[in-house]
Amino acid sequence: MPRTLWSGSLSFGLVNVPVQLVSAVRDLDYHFRQLHEKDKAPIEQRRYCAEEDVEVTWEEVAHSYDLDGKQVVVTDEELASVQPRKTRTIDIEGFVDLADVDPIFFDHPYFLVPAGESEGTRRAYRLLVEAMGSTDRAALGRFVMRTKEYLALVRARDGALSLTTLRFADEVRPTKPVPSGGRKKPAKAQVDRAVAVIEELSTDWDPGRYEDCYRERLRRVIEDKRKRRKIEAPEPTRQPAPAEDLMEALERTLEEVRSG
Amino acid sequence: MAPRSLWNGTVTFGLVNVPIKLYTATESQSVSFHEVHARDGARIEHRRICAKEDREVPYEEVVKGYEISEGKYVVLEDDEVKAAAGDRGKVVALDEFVDASAVDPVFHARTYYAGAGDAPEAYRLLHEALRRSGKAGIGRFTFHDREYLVALRAHDDVLALHTLRFADEVVDPSDLEIDAPGRKPARKEVEMARKLIDSLHEDFDPAAYADTYRDAVLDLIRRKAQGEDIDLDAQEEPEHGDDLAAALEASLGS
Repeated sequence: MPRTLWSGSLSFGLVNVPVQLVSAVRDLDYHFRQLHEKDKAPIEQRRYCAEEDVEVTWEEVAHSYDLDGKQVVVTDEELASVQPRKTRTIDIEGFVDLADVDPIFFDHPYFLVPAGESEGTRRAYRLLVEAMGSTDRAALGRFVMRTKEYLALVRARDGALSLTTLRFADEVRPTKPVPSGGRKKPAKAQVDRAVAVIEELSTDWDPGRYEDCYRERLRRVIEDKRKRRKIEAPEPTRQPAPAEDLMEALERTLEEVRSG
Repeated sequence: MAPRSLWNGTVTFGLVNVPIKLYTATESQSVSFHEVHARDGARIEHRRICAKEDREVPYEEVVKGYEISEGKYVVLEDDEVKAAAGDRGKVVALDEFVDASAVDPVFHARTYYAGAGDAPEAYRLLHEALRRSGKAGIGRFTFHDREYLVALRAHDDVLALHTLRFADEVVDPSDLEIDAPGRKPARKEVEMARKLIDSLHEDFDPAAYADTYRDAVLDLIRRKAQGEDIDLDAQEEPEHGDDLAAALEASLGS
């Protein structure tokens, strides 16, 4: 069972379900420590006052914000005082169609699990799972975790309530400055062929089929180094040139994918 | 002015090559502070200290170590770590396509915009074909010496490149050991909850939600700058209702 990151209650109308928030992802990356080359001792990051050149403990650290050139220092207590009311709840404000939420808004995935052993809590949790599981809708809510307010999408997934934090609208950049290749529409015959290629190469989304090759290669690099074997980097592939004749490239691709 | 691209490369599907340029799509707007020494307001510096010698170490003397057992490290040079990136060619080969809507939100990590490169015609074609089919192309992409699984789909007038998590990085709901209640919720209760969901249905309008905490923090900073005393009040907790059906009924009636 993953570690609890936040606990509070999920508030749905007048129903309050005590819940705990746990991460829906696990970190499988290989992590490195910084070492001093000479003696292989771990490097520690320590805080120093730039003015006095002395080490400073965490308790002596304050937060400073640059307000138009003026340095404003605030304390943890002051920050806590402006947290929105009811910070221990996720208030469901409405329900939206999941398909309407562009993936660009998805931030971090979590699960909500019922908190405590009480029958009332388990039933209320189960009720939300069943009611939400029967629709394609997701609840929109807000909550505060540590020092940040989050907008979150809550939905039923395989018997559990999943919560995905969302980015706020002003955290998603406009697409306008991104070069879109002009206004000229591609010829219908070309689009038809391209769609045909895509259809031929289409498959069901099955995440279990993809392996993290990077992680596996890094594991081997560590293993090789441990056994003092030589490590060689592969040569990068050449950059392919754009096709002179798009239609011809499409026709040949279609022939290739159809012949398997 | 066009923003600076992060990466330039080529997307291929079959024999069609589409040059692309990658741009940042999201940026955190959280209020960020820097650390200062509370006593004198001076900047805090993070220094690298060798734990054994208890002295500062310049960056050139720092290496990466992977701990294989308590206190025992395999030391890797930067070039050796980079070797794990694999083929660092700047090509994203779309080997297959899936329904864009079938990729569960849990798999989405980061998003970039992929803008048109030197072959705008091919770019428009790929965009239109992805838009019309509702598909996302699945491929692999090497960025900052690390390989990612990605989904490329049409987004507005451009392409969006989403990095995806691998299946083993995602927690399965069955790992959560959620106990079923002794008595299942009654059908009437589920129906009432569903009615409540319907009554609260709305269109997703991201602009309707502002980060009010961010605003409150900025307001706090402004008040503090004016020398105001900050009131450190405690917050209140909500009550937990016990009677599910009564709570639902009251919610619907409100």
